[in-house]
Amino acid sequence: MIALDQVSKSYFVKGVHKVVLDEVSFQLPERKNVALMGRNGAGKSTLLRLIAGTEMPTQGEIVREERVSWPMGFSGGFNGNMTGVENIRFVARIYGQPSEEVLERVEAFAELGPSLDLPIATYSSGMKARLAFGLSLAIDFDTYLIDEITAVGDQRFKLKSRAALGKAVETSRVVMVSHSPSVVKDFCEVGVLLYEGQLYYYDQIDNLLADYRRFC
Amino acid sequence: MRGGVSAQIRVIVALTLRESRMTFGTSHAGYLWAVIQPLLSISVLVGIFYVIGRQSPYGTSLALFFASGVLTLELFNRLSGTLLRAYVANRQLLYYPAIRETDALFARLLLVVLTYLVIFTLFFGGLVLFGLAEMPREPDTMIAAFAATTLLGLGVGSVHAMLMRVTPIWAHVEMVIGRPLFFLSGVFYIPSQMPPEVIEVLQWNPVLHLIEWMREGYYTHYASDVFDPLYPVAIALVLLAIGLGSERMTRRWRAA
Repeated sequence: MIALDQVSKSYFVKGVHKVVLDEVSFQLPERKNVALMGRNGAGKSTLLRLIAGTEMPTQGEIVREERVSWPMGFSGGFNGNMTGVENIRFVARIYGQPSEEVLERVEAFAELGPSLDLPIATYSSGMKARLAFGLSLAIDFDTYLIDEITAVGDQRFKLKSRAALGKAVETSRVVMVSHSPSVVKDFCEVGVLLYEGQLYYYDQIDNLLADYRRFC
Repeated sequence: MRGGVSAQIRVIVALTLRESRMTFGTSHAGYLWAVIQPLLSISVLVGIFYVIGRQSPYGTSLALFFASGVLTLELFNRLSGTLLRAYVANRQLLYYPAIRETDALFARLLLVVLTYLVIFTLFFGGLVLFGLAEMPREPDTMIAAFAATTLLGLGVGSVHAMLMRVTPIWAHVEMVIGRPLFFLSGVFYIPSQMPPEVIEVLQWNPVLHLIEWMREGYYTHYASDVFDPLYPVAIALVLLAIGLGSERMTRRWRAA
């Protein structure tokens, strides 16, 4: 279960007060793939970080009774001085998963070959995205949080990541931020619109997309 | 979902391995250098005092007297300087919700403590081996002194780490605070033999108490007039409460 209980989140960016959530109580529907949409800068990424637990709400509580991934983004939280293999081992360790198994899974997915033994700083952004995506999927979570990641990489990687995501969706679920109606339609069953500090729930993706077009 | 204490220990161990790789590189030579470098710098200092003909202020071994002071001071300084950047240098780790910011603090602490345990053992062991020192009188008192030094280093470091988040200039302030400690902590003199008005001032320095503590453990009749074990521990606990408390209280207002 993932639920927000009277959650507010606001912060100051260079003196400007920004409100992302304003006293929101909301429970994500169980075992459903959720699309999260909203205007640029509405705070979708912040909301994902709140759900993941990388950021704390200013007020209220977030209940998280399952294994939730970190927000999978373009670059990942890699250390540029460490090699791909070292970064993979590190993440496997903090999540208590067997390093070798995770390493094998990432190797198979990311197709980085010998580059895995090079420092991340030498990687192109596409290579980093492949590693980040492969690493997230190599660790077992009940819910994967995805931040626009399907939009990166070459054609081959796009197809591959879509296939991998399709497979992950069979056993886990995703909560994904996306601006692409086709991606949202392909993977998600229900939707949430973040609009002016409030969350609006849609049990039909078509209704979500209609409101998204109207308000955002 | 966080798996409680065992998960937290797992994270701290993973972070410690990561820190050690970043600090010393992947080779064993890197770690060796981390031990050799302080050994060399202390040996050079002892050598200089020896050449200018200084007698040991206490006991027969100048090297031992000096080492008991410098090693304790170095442990404190290293903790203060390393923990300073625990938060600002590890922002990318916050990408993973399994990691709390304070985990990075404790990982750095663990790495410095392990390194200095090796350094202490090698240096004192070497002095005994080469006949430059007796065996320590009360090893358990020395361990208590080591632990108290670690605690004060953690307390000071946790506050530095928070202030570092306010302004990067704090790194220079930390250096300015740290420099005079070499002269104010009784590294190369016996505090008890100083004039009362000097002792009056020196006794406010908690690091001086830690060095006295270490010597109380090593020597048979050191009998310091200044030493009070409660003082450095109390300061350490107050600073630790401020450092960790302020981290906890500001967590909700920070944007990652």
